[in-house]
Amino acid sequence: MEYILKNGIVYDPANEVNGEKMDVMFKDGIIVDDVSADAEVLDVTDKIVMPAGIDPHAHVAGPKLVVGRLYRPEDSRRGVTQKTKVLRSESGFSIPSCPATGYRYSRLGYGTVVEAAMPPLEAKHTHEEIATIPQIDIPAMPLFGNNWFVMEYAKDNNIEDIAAFVAAWLKLTKGYGIKIVNPCGSEAWGWGMNVHGINDKAPYFDVTSKEVVVALAKANEMLNLPHSIHIHPNDLGHPGNVPTTIETMDCVKDVKKGSKAAEIRDQVMHVCHLQFHSYTGNSWKDAASGAEEVADYINKHDHITCDIGQVTLDETTTMTADAPMEYDLFKLSGLKWANKDIECETAAGIIPCIYSAKNPVNTLQWAIGLELFLHIDDPWKVCLTTDHPNAGPFTRYPRIISWLMSNTRRMEMIENREVHKWAEKRTTLATLDREYDFYDIATISRAAPARIYGFTDKGALTPGYRADIAVYDINPNDIDPSRQYAEIEKGFNVADYTIKDGQILVKDKEIVKVKESQNVWVNVQGWEKNEEKVINNIMPFFTQYYSVKWENYPVHDHYVSNPIRIDVDGK
Amino acid sequence: MTYEPPVTDYDHIVENCTCAFCGCNCDDLDYLVKDGHVVAVRHACRLGASKIMEDMDQRLIVPMIRDENGELKEVDWDTALDKAAEYIANSIRPVFYGWSETSTETMKEGVALGEYIGAVLDNQATICHGPSLQAVQNAGYPIQTLGEVQNRADMIAYSGSNAMNSHPRHMARYAVFCRGYFRQRGRFDRTVVTMDPKFSDTAKCSDKWIGFEQNGDYGFYNAIRAVLRGKELYQDVISGIPKEDIYELAEEMKNAEFGVLFFGLGLTHTLSKQRNIDIAIKMVQDLNKYSKWGLTPMRGHFNVNGFNIFMAFECGFAFGVDYCRGYPRYMMGETNTIDLLVRKEPDCFMVIAADPGAHFPNGANQHLADIPVIQIDIHWGPSTELADVVLPGSFIGVECAGTSYRMDGVPIFMKKAIDKPETCRDDEWIVRELKERVMKLREEPNTAPKYVPNPNAL
Amino acid sequence: MKTITFDQIKTSSIALEFDELIPDEIYSWTEADFAKYQVPIGNSRFPLTDFFEVTVEGEANGPDEVEMIINGDLNRVKYIGCKMSGGNIVCNSSVDLHVGAEMSGGSILVKGNAAAHAGREMSGGYLEIEGNTKEFTGASYIGEWRGMTGGQIVVGGNAGKQCGECLTGGKIHVKGNCDILAGIHMTKGVIEIDGDVNRWPGGQMKNGNIIIHGFLGRLLEGFVLNGIVVDPEVEGVTYEGKYIQYTGDIGLNGKGNLYLDAEANKEKLATYGELDDEYTSIREYRNL
Ligand code: SF4
Ligand SMILES: [Zn+2]
Ligand SMILES: [Zn+2]
Repeated sequence: MEYILKNGIVYDPANEVNGEKMDVMFKDGIIVDDVSADAEVLDVTDKIVMPAGIDPHAHVAGPKLVVGRLYRPEDSRRGVTQKTKVLRSESGFSIPSCPATGYRYSRLGYGTVVEAAMPPLEAKHTHEEIATIPQIDIPAMPLFGNNWFVMEYAKDNNIEDIAAFVAAWLKLTKGYGIKIVNPCGSEAWGWGMNVHGINDKAPYFDVTSKEVVVALAKANEMLNLPHSIHIHPNDLGHPGNVPTTIETMDCVKDVKKGSKAAEIRDQVMHVCHLQFHSYTGNSWKDAASGAEEVADYINKHDHITCDIGQVTLDETTTMTADAPMEYDLFKLSGLKWANKDIECETAAGIIPCIYSAKNPVNTLQWAIGLELFLHIDDPWKVCLTTDHPNAGPFTRYPRIISWLMSNTRRMEMIENREVHKWAEKRTTLATLDREYDFYDIATISRAAPARIYGFTDKGALTPGYRADIAVYDINPNDIDPSRQYAEIEKGFNVADYTIKDGQILVKDKEIVKVKESQNVWVNVQGWEKNEEKVINNIMPFFTQYYSVKWENYPVHDHYVSNPIRIDVDGK
Repeated sequence: MTYEPPVTDYDHIVENCTCAFCGCNCDDLDYLVKDGHVVAVRHACRLGASKIMEDMDQRLIVPMIRDENGELKEVDWDTALDKAAEYIANSIRPVFYGWSETSTETMKEGVALGEYIGAVLDNQATICHGPSLQAVQNAGYPIQTLGEVQNRADMIAYSGSNAMNSHPRHMARYAVFCRGYFRQRGRFDRTVVTMDPKFSDTAKCSDKWIGFEQNGDYGFYNAIRAVLRGKELYQDVISGIPKEDIYELAEEMKNAEFGVLFFGLGLTHTLSKQRNIDIAIKMVQDLNKYSKWGLTPMRGHFNVNGFNIFMAFECGFAFGVDYCRGYPRYMMGETNTIDLLVRKEPDCFMVIAADPGAHFPNGANQHLADIPVIQIDIHWGPSTELADVVLPGSFIGVECAGTSYRMDGVPIFMKKAIDKPETCRDDEWIVRELKERVMKLREEPNTAPKYVPNPNAL
Repeated sequence: MKTITFDQIKTSSIALEFDELIPDEIYSWTEADFAKYQVPIGNSRFPLTDFFEVTVEGEANGPDEVEMIINGDLNRVKYIGCKMSGGNIVCNSSVDLHVGAEMSGGSILVKGNAAAHAGREMSGGYLEIEGNTKEFTGASYIGEWRGMTGGQIVVGGNAGKQCGECLTGGKIHVKGNCDILAGIHMTKGVIEIDGDVNRWPGGQMKNGNIIIHGFLGRLLEGFVLNGIVVDPEVEGVTYEGKYIQYTGDIGLNGKGNLYLDAEANKEKLATYGELDDEYTSIREYRNL
């Protein structure tokens, strides 16, 4: 099938198209230069056309999600909707059911969402959920930062074996890249402890967080993986964590990018939900924003990219592999605490969380997120996320966009005391009058995440790319986002069209078609010998100390019926 | 138990099969196969082995329909499936119960059918660990995988669970006797406490037995929590336990390096039901201030946890999900199988891989006798006597492959080792066939003309 | 004022769901509208008039001006008055699950018993049940830690287990006896029980008040004796007489109050030591 999107106003930062009125054409799922006269015309006159959204960091599928859904029926109930002829029923607000997750992303005009934490032992589970989520492509990031084998190798500075291990584990788990969460800290949590700062050692393993991070970064570049290491640094959510954050970013500045990787991405480290890592002070009593300092580091260094984890001031569910931090939160709120430790690999904690604009700390977090967006000069280094569902559900992205595009709205919230006065007193938010334009928005939600992940087939409207396109009912030449922020939010809330691989999924703001999702995984080539050696080495340990048989460990093809395999030349 | 010489007469061995019996999902079994039958099983406990080695005279082989005289008559697959589909299509309040002894792949078809027709989908949790799930929903869920227990735990508490008999390899493979990375001496490195009114076999091999009185669970755990807060107990004996023992136990639990509480139906089914678990969870949460503690419900059937996990990601609710209005609803006392049956609401009942005939209270079974019952199973059982249509399935983990979730949530791919009897079909196929036939017979009820977002989620 | 009368024609073995038939929705309906209306039963809908004859008298401009009178056997009619914000409903029979659940205003009178979840998560209004109630009267939804936040429930008979679970406001008054774990997890509000309680009221409560005028079987260890109070005043109401007062649930650092009628629970009092007529000696045993 051939289609032509006519007369839209196109924002395509990867091709430096900034609000030009032009046609976008696609054929058989691929963007093309030209179509025949038979092409179906979709009239999108004066509407915004962008590549479909890419969410670089969200938690949408996997064991912790299911614990969340299982133990929060009161959240599931909040979003229940009736089925239609096309759609299944939905449920959930902060942790939507799988069908709801796919539908809601599709309505927002998104086409790709990265599941940011997959415990290898339960990777099958993650993939079962991915297969249940419709509409979007989902790469998943296996967790390596507290893996016993990785910690052992890192202690010996054995980069080659780590690289082989990672290459093997990406195949075994059908994963996309290296995710590190609270390195060494989640292992310490196995004993109810945590590490503090990046130079603290995991108990027993005698290796510091920094050693693990640097080793994994080097292995990542040795393998030429399309994405860099993706890190959730230590000390999340603790006042005074800025030095840890900066030291974490700084410790890989001398790691050389893999030669092939350098062509498709710029960074050697992606830091996720930076907002939670930008606090100064000694306790919540005297906590304040460290956004400026953190942003300043990023502005001055090109090896770092980040996403924000913007607090949306909703009742949500926090879930992270940073389990000790979740227990700290539990001690503060007393709400029901869930935890899930996974042998030899990782841990996870979950707790309902009410971010209230009346609460000084929550307001501070809200303001710091926005500050980071506004302080970091280059939109290519920053991505739009809420660390769904940790700082808020992804369905709030349009609202965040409206905040970013409107200083008027931000000042209104501060001045009308819609938010606590800490926003003004403890952050610089009120002094920042920068406003994002549509081009910037397209960058932080499309082009930048695609570049950061090394996607070479999406995130732009380049001919030959997948036809993943979103159209919004906003006329950029006829709107003042600064004043009409409510219209901006409304406009981005439901796409007019969402097109995925050339298929029209959303039309006139209604889902008209349901499509199976696809898992995206990285297949490293050229390391087979090393992988075999590493697996043979660890086999006695595995047999003795894992509670499943090796045969049961990998994700069988059965679970990824329809994958997109990215072959990477690792040598 | 008499001595049985090892089986030597077999054609080949299939290694690393998974046991389809209890929630331990032991995945290290070797099946000895001769002439397409499993003749012996290595590594399994007696419960698992006896289930896996088929018992052909109990096996359901062919589809059957109950005729006017009330006799089950053999029919071909088409006739049986059409009859079953007709029952489902004509029903107003269908209930699909079971699912815990089949694969998530089958559940996938089941939820599609259930959502289409507007049925209640429920599993054995409703009669076993339902209270645990409700408690989890009230209090939280600090769990860990069984490998964590093996490698780290130095204190194991069983409460209201007789693991020795119900999950025979639990202590050996995961929790007590096995060597762990940080527990190299196995049993000698661990303290085992059994809290149970009964001096069970598990209690016999424990270091300590806390025999609190029946129905005293809530009061007992409440007292431990009070002690953890530093309160002095004013009664000398609480729930049948002298207060000194409670102090001592609390102290021991605080000083453990890594403790795990396993609890079973003894805790879920006494007087205060879910609140026993509720307070046990709270106790575990308190203990984490002093050391590391977790818990795990001792799930019975091998995939009972799988259904709860599966439903949670499909629709947001773990069990007892009512789709009758075109959206999922979950409410205790309303959308659970037993309540519905006792209220005599259902007018069609499909039981898949479960045995209500044997497990349900009399009042519930009485109603089952009055309504059409469709059974999908591999074995003849009391439910077959209630069934109007019998559809013989196949044995997951032996005759067909599928996914299950262990009690701690670890997914296991249960592989196929031998072929199923020729006249049987895979559960997944049967439910898919039913779905397709029902779709032809009745237009989808209760669909909204247009998607309407839920205002509470905006 | 508009009076809508539902006279039952026949019963159904599968429950009818009345969640759409609340004053907020139907205040403007005419008899013709009711004749068109299909009521949900199981996975289907059937004409309401197969089950009820509906007569409408008078006019209403809003839910507050509506009175619904439902006659017949309502043991299989659930969600009566669920989510209503105004008006008045009278049920001349026992009712099924969820009567008055999530209501925010108006009043419901049940002249019989109520099944489980009566008045669940109410935020306002008045619900009176002349007979007994089952489990979870005035409780919260499963997993929800914020239960009933306002309004009042009066139970003429006995209340089932876990009455007022997670109570976060409002008042529940049980005139008969109460089963185990009344007021479990409660954080605010008042539960008053005229009759006896068998065990464990207030388990894991954080705050709020429970007043028991009858005899209490077992008390949890999480409650700390505070002593005897005379004519205590709780949220503006004075309860005359002598009461033993406890604070709990200490396992949670709770600050809830439990008042036990001293006369009815003399035996319990005696376990704290010798009693004189005025119960004064009990004060010495505070904070055991
Ligand atoms: S313990 Fe359970 S899973 Fe393991 S072999 Fe025995 S019955 Fe099977
Ligand atoms: Zn994170
Ligand atoms: Zn995250």
